[in-house]
Amino acid sequence: MKRINWKKFGLVTFSLPLVILIIMIASMAEYVAPFDPYFLDVMVMLEGPSEKHWMGTDELGRDVFSRIIFGAQVSLQVGVCAVLVGLTGGVFVGVLAAYYGGYVDQILMRFMDIVFCFPAILLAVILMANFGTSIFNAMLAIGIIFIPGFARLTRAITQTVQRQAFLEAAVCLGLPGHKIIFREILPNVLGPLLVEATVAFSYAVLLESALSFLGLGSQPPEPSWGNMINIGRGFIDQAPWISLAPGLALFFTVFIFNLFGDGLRDILDPKLNE
Amino acid sequence: MWKIIAGRLLSFVPTIIIASMILFLAVNVVPGSAARAVLGIQATPQAIKRFEHKHGLDRPLYIQYADWAGKAIKGDFGTSFQNSVAVGPEVAKRIPVTILLASLAFGIAILIAVPLGALAGMRHQKMSDGTITTLATLFGSTPNFWLATLLIYLFALKFGWFPTGGYVPFQDSVLGSLKSLCLPAISLGLVSSGLLIRIMRAAVIETMESNHIDTAISKGVGPRRLFFSHVLRNSIIPFLTVGAVEFGFLVGSVVIIEDVFRIPGIGSLVLVGIINRDYPVLLAASMAITLIVLLVNFLADLSAQLIDPRQVKNVRN
Repeated sequence: MKRINWKKFGLVTFSLPLVILIIMIASMAEYVAPFDPYFLDVMVMLEGPSEKHWMGTDELGRDVFSRIIFGAQVSLQVGVCAVLVGLTGGVFVGVLAAYYGGYVDQILMRFMDIVFCFPAILLAVILMANFGTSIFNAMLAIGIIFIPGFARLTRAITQTVQRQAFLEAAVCLGLPGHKIIFREILPNVLGPLLVEATVAFSYAVLLESALSFLGLGSQPPEPSWGNMINIGRGFIDQAPWISLAPGLALFFTVFIFNLFGDGLRDILDPKLNE
Repeated sequence: MWKIIAGRLLSFVPTIIIASMILFLAVNVVPGSAARAVLGIQATPQAIKRFEHKHGLDRPLYIQYADWAGKAIKGDFGTSFQNSVAVGPEVAKRIPVTILLASLAFGIAILIAVPLGALAGMRHQKMSDGTITTLATLFGSTPNFWLATLLIYLFALKFGWFPTGGYVPFQDSVLGSLKSLCLPAISLGLVSSGLLIRIMRAAVIETMESNHIDTAISKGVGPRRLFFSHVLRNSIIPFLTVGAVEFGFLVGSVVIIEDVFRIPGIGSLVLVGIINRDYPVLLAASMAITLIVLLVNFLADLSAQLIDPRQVKNVRN
């Protein structure tokens, strides 16, 4: 009987409960947050962490902890949607390039390679400046940036799958192109794409916060970690918790999702396991 | 060798052309937005038409691009919508600041990554390897703009060791210049070191598996000499050539860090272009950043090919 290498499950075992916790907190923000994130209380402006306000209050007397919890909702929404946009676009381009090969492959992938060379934050900033500042546009802009990465990975895996005997069998059986792509190729590329999607998700959360920090993502009074850090900068000397607390939440979330991505890679990538 | 250089150069030129097209399209993706942005929402259709005609924005996009690209090759990036000042000289003035900041940050990242990555690679699959890899993930997960805020709070406001922002030109005071760039460079460098540690680790693991290391060990070479003369020497070249790509990404990250520290580089000019909806400024500054990134990638790729194509291929895989 083949022995299970438990060592490779270590990172996922550690990070998965925390990933679930973050997702649960974000999806049940209304029930978890002790205060309304928009509720202004001028009597407690810039108050430090206390029993009532665990992470203090901001310049308008709003509870920082509650705003961080609602900020998680925004970050996770943007992360998921951006990854979905990138994944859909990337898989479409990657499979198309690998399946048809030749000029289609050359043109599509050369274009993807060039877009991939652009610094992500620069492209995101330019796209947001044009699309206009909103969460929806942030999802779209970040998603577009992810397309080349997913396309390159999908193409590489599809080319490996194409060399497998079962695909030759499918071609010999005379299955039409769309059936080969959807039934034979796509199910086999999902594993490695899942790993890439986890890493892309944490990067999307970082990018959304960076855009909001620059005033190009979600707009105040909407609670977003990026704009909370930015607003807090103005009060950093009197009330450092306004910037530091959402930054810690962002850092922790990105770190946990990156660990989860590494853990998934340990399990799903047999080359690394060896 | 010349064949490789010529081949790479031939593929570099179309890359720049396509990159400039993508950038031009990204900046002009919403038709008419520049006029509306500059003149305000209450601008009359006639005023918008006049503005567009004056700046040639009423022409088809491909003609606008051809016009812009033709002038850009000669160094003319147009004039600002806001103050009618030539954009080219302003960008040229800011490029050295950004390159200096990115170079300092890259230097810091290398100083962190080489010893840690080498240690992790030498102690592959041991506890210290796991600890360093986790540390690399920790560094890579840090939002650089938050780290910058944290550093300003601690080292500028609390201890008063560094300025909270601004830039002292290198020619005015070397020490002052380094002092003004220290915190921004740490903010960028520490985050970049996350990826570089992993690259260095992979390079060392690759070297450790090669035959010449086995030969050196069997000849009785001591651990210190084995590391410095055999492992480090053979790992550092693929590390630098692959890691140089990170320098390109570092240049891209200056957009946000220059804003936090109010450094007058190209990154902050991109934001000025966005805030004022000054598209000639935005286009020229973004193109300058993209060119630097592409050039660094090109040089890294070329040197990798020239030094040893096999080694770099292995590290990349």
